[in-house]
Amino acid sequence: MIKPQGHWLITPFFNWYIGWIIKRNFQSVNFNKVELHPAKAVLLIANHFSWWDGFLLYYLNKIYFKKTFRIMVLEETMRGVTFFKYLGAFSVTKNSRQVVESLQYAAELLSDPDNLVVIFPQGKLYSNFVESVNFEKGLFKITEMATADFQYLFAAAFTENFDQKKPSVNIGFKVVQSGALSVDDLQKAYQQHYDKTKQRQTQLVV
Amino acid sequence: MIPARRNKTLSNLFARYMRYRMNKAFNRIVVTPFTPKPGHSVLLLCNHFSWWDGFFGNYLAYWTMKRHLYIMMQHDHLEKRMLFNLFGGFSIERGNREMLKSLWYAADLLNDLENLVVVFPQGELISNHTAHVSVEKGIERLIKHIKGPCQIVYCATLIDYFESLKPSAFIHLFDCGVANEVPFDELVANIDKFHAQALQDQINVEH
Repeated sequence: MIKPQGHWLITPFFNWYIGWIIKRNFQSVNFNKVELHPAKAVLLIANHFSWWDGFLLYYLNKIYFKKTFRIMVLEETMRGVTFFKYLGAFSVTKNSRQVVESLQYAAELLSDPDNLVVIFPQGKLYSNFVESVNFEKGLFKITEMATADFQYLFAAAFTENFDQKKPSVNIGFKVVQSGALSVDDLQKAYQQHYDKTKQRQTQLVV
Repeated sequence: MIPARRNKTLSNLFARYMRYRMNKAFNRIVVTPFTPKPGHSVLLLCNHFSWWDGFFGNYLAYWTMKRHLYIMMQHDHLEKRMLFNLFGGFSIERGNREMLKSLWYAADLLNDLENLVVVFPQGELISNHTAHVSVEKGIERLIKHIKGPCQIVYCATLIDYFESLKPSAFIHLFDCGVANEVPFDELVANIDKFHAQALQDQINVEH
């Protein structure tokens, strides 16, 4: 598996560049401000509908959450985009024995309160219009393997144009402590948050 | 009410320019396969969620329906952009006596088989993620006034990204039958059903 690493030039460059392309391509990025527990690591669960998801979360981490950004990315994607490893990405190979190694690594990351680990539980790109977000098994394994207490951060992102040429993206966040949620309820809790965010989105007016 | 002063040459130029702009702004513009009924004008009812909608209508009129575009615009919006008047824009003022005039004007345009009129039945900007599409009462009056054969088409445009950094537009077209053959209540129910269908198709769309 490929592990994340820092680079004296590439990492700071993308730190700046990602913010720049987001400002160029979106009218605005809106999110609700949530309070994180400072002594616990964050497991960020998000819907995956575009190439922007990772970049947007990277950007929001930089400007708001200010934690060490770690993100699970498919190995084939990481081989294609070699600089991802300098942006906190670690690889996972689906349907292979090595998957355990990646899940174990993700679980270990959750014991350091400085970390923010992003997982797209859908495992691949789906439309922004899906009604339910399906979780693959890997996420449940990570939560089982994690030894320390951590917090879930749910994120549901939707794009919207209204009277603008460029789309805006609205991200709804919600914090749930890991102790307060059993693994079985995880998908249901996320789905509830997803539905609520979507509901709020459809009621937006210009 | 401001009637359209459509200039064919300028409209053709503008359509080409806007197609270029749209191809630049969007990764893909995917229109579901659709052939309009020959010998019918087209009343195109579109969902209204963005700045681009009118141009999507223009795009469809030129490259899918092959009809002359006319488009119903809010009076104050058209006043600010009178250039669109030359490309087929005519105005409507809501809650005003003039409103009826605009609806009848649109209906009269549809008596010409070569024409296509774009109307946003929601009457305002509504989220792209909405599950239901409302149709304003005025549409009933418009349709009742059409005399020639006219096909009603519902167009649901949905924006999705997938593997690209640019958005893609997926345009789902549905045939709502010929004007005055389907009762209005049924048409409204059908449009809502078609929109739900578009959302469902979007989930399974190829990417």
